[in-house]
Amino acid sequence: MTRRILIIDDEDDIRQVAAMSLETVAGWDVVLANSGKQGIERASAEQPDAILLDVMMPEMDGPTTLLKLKASGMTSHIPVLLLTAKVQGPDQRKFAELGVAATLFKPFDPLTLARQISAALGWKEGD
Amino acid sequence: MPSDKTAPTAASLPEEQSNEQKMQSMISALWERSRHTVAERARLLQNAGELWNENRLDTATKLRAVDSAHKLAGVLGTFGLPRGTDLAREAEGLFGQSTPPDKAEIERLQVLLAELTRLIDRGPNPTV
Repeated sequence: MTRRILIIDDEDDIRQVAAMSLETVAGWDVVLANSGKQGIERASAEQPDAILLDVMMPEMDGPTTLLKLKASGMTSHIPVLLLTAKVQGPDQRKFAELGVAATLFKPFDPLTLARQISAALGWKEGD
Repeated sequence: MPSDKTAPTAASLPEEQSNEQKMQSMISALWERSRHTVAERARLLQNAGELWNENRLDTATKLRAVDSAHKLAGVLGTFGLPRGTDLAREAEGLFGQSTPPDKAEIERLQVLLAELTRLIDRGPNPTV
C-alpha cells in the first residue's frame, strides 16, 4: 500500500533528503511543508497517513504545531512523529506528554527512515 | 548513519543495494547544493567563537550560533559526516550554556570548530 507522508521542516536540505528517502526506498508519496502554519494547512487538505514534524522551527515550533494538529477535528487522528536533533531526556519526556506517536532523531539514515517510521507506527509491508 | 542500519535479509539485498546506490547518488548531489549553506553556518560558528574568545559575544549572535550548531548537528550525519554531527552538538552545548565559558572551554571550542570546518571543506567520503 502506498503511504502518504507529510514532512514539516523549515530546513530545505532535511526536507529534500527525507523526501528522497521515503520516495526512493519505500515508494511512498511525500507532501512537503516548510513551516508549522503551512504544515497544518497541508495536513487538513492532503490527509496524510502520518506526519514527520521538526521540533525547532521559527515562528511556530514543532510542539505548538503538534498541539494545533491535535486540536483540529480534521487532523487530530493523524499520527505525528517528531524529528529532532534534541537528545536530552527532559525534552523527550515533554514530547511524549504532547501525544506524539514516536520521536525520531536527526541525523537520520536515509536508507532506514521509512523502516523506522513503519516500526514506530506498527505498519507492516503490504498493509 | 550506517551504524543504525539493520542487516538486510537475503531476499531484500539486491533491492537494498540498488536503493543504496540511488540514495548515495542523490545525497551527493544534494550535498553539492547544500554545502554552501553548511559552510556558512560553520563560518558563523567560527566568528562567534572568536567573539567569545574576545569576550565580545552578544546575545543575538550567541543564539544564532546555538541555532546554527543545532542545524549542523541535525544534518551532517545524514550527509555522511557523523563526526561533524558530534562536533556540532558539542558546539551547541558550549554556546548554549548560561555561564560564561572558562579558558579550557574556549580552547576546546576553537579546536572543535577548526575540525568541523575541515570536515565540511573536505565533504563526505562517497565510499562510506
